[in-house]
Amino acid sequence: MNYNKLLPLTETTFYIMLSLATPSHGYAIMQNVELLSENKVKVAAGTLYGAIENLLKQKLIIEVKSEDKRRRVYTLTPEGKELLKLEIERLRHLIQISEGIELGGKER
Amino acid sequence: MKKFKIIPDFVNEEKFLNEMALQGYYLEKYNSLGVYTFREEAPQSLCYRIDYRTFSSKKQFEDYCALFEDAGWEHVYGTRHSGSQYFLPIPGRAQTDDIFSDKESKAGRYKRYSSQCFASLMLMITWLFVLNSDNWKIWNVKSWYFTPGLWDMPGSLFWKAFLFETPFVILRVAPMILFFFMAILYGYWSVKAKDLYKKELDVH
Repeated sequence: MNYNKLLPLTETTFYIMLSLATPSHGYAIMQNVELLSENKVKVAAGTLYGAIENLLKQKLIIEVKSEDKRRRVYTLTPEGKELLKLEIERLRHLIQISEGIELGGKER
Repeated sequence: MKKFKIIPDFVNEEKFLNEMALQGYYLEKYNSLGVYTFREEAPQSLCYRIDYRTFSSKKQFEDYCALFEDAGWEHVYGTRHSGSQYFLPIPGRAQTDDIFSDKESKAGRYKRYSSQCFASLMLMITWLFVLNSDNWKIWNVKSWYFTPGLWDMPGSLFWKAFLFETPFVILRVAPMILFFFMAILYGYWSVKAKDLYKKELDVH
């Protein structure tokens, strides 16, 4: 899989994939994104459904068995985990190089 | 109450449904021929939202409806194959004011609608080819009539035979004409939805 073509992830995709490190259904993902982002990011149902369909198509997540008959549960595939790792490394690098940079201005 | 209307733009369709609700008519059913069925109740200001999706399995469709319900959106109408899916916010429970939270996904419904129209266009064209036999072609009116030597008959005899066969011709040709016009409509909607898709992506 060519991971570089899929990077960088959009903020929404990043949050969704991060949430799927543990198996969850759609609404659990929505709640987790709100929690992780401290209410700054809200993924609406239609947007989330489309994002999940895309991730399934790209084989980055997979549906797993669940006891809930109505709600499908998903989790990251090994490829999804690898991609998320690469993205985290990329973000870490960005933080690293920006530390100690003086931009002036007032401190807030 | 039933109302016939074809609105190939989701934003306008949402507006139309909101206006109907203001007059006390609530969407109950919709079919792809353009017939809306409304139920009459006290007028209310509502905010309909429309998504466009078809589903390959019943389970996927149920999961989709469950997700929207969990998020505070009532699935008002839509079937696995209907495409258009109609939603209303459940008062106090909907956490977002739209069913989409970014413009890419909001525009995406036009893209899916456009592909669906294109698929229907292809189906209509296929039908036209299947129905076009060697003996008669849609673009050749003379070939629609099967009476031997009809076009060479003298005046009164011609009109008699012509008028006699016309009802049969109409029955034979009507589906063709219908498919032909539907093909044109689907082609037009497909292109228009593609334009709307691009337009929505450009909106800042």
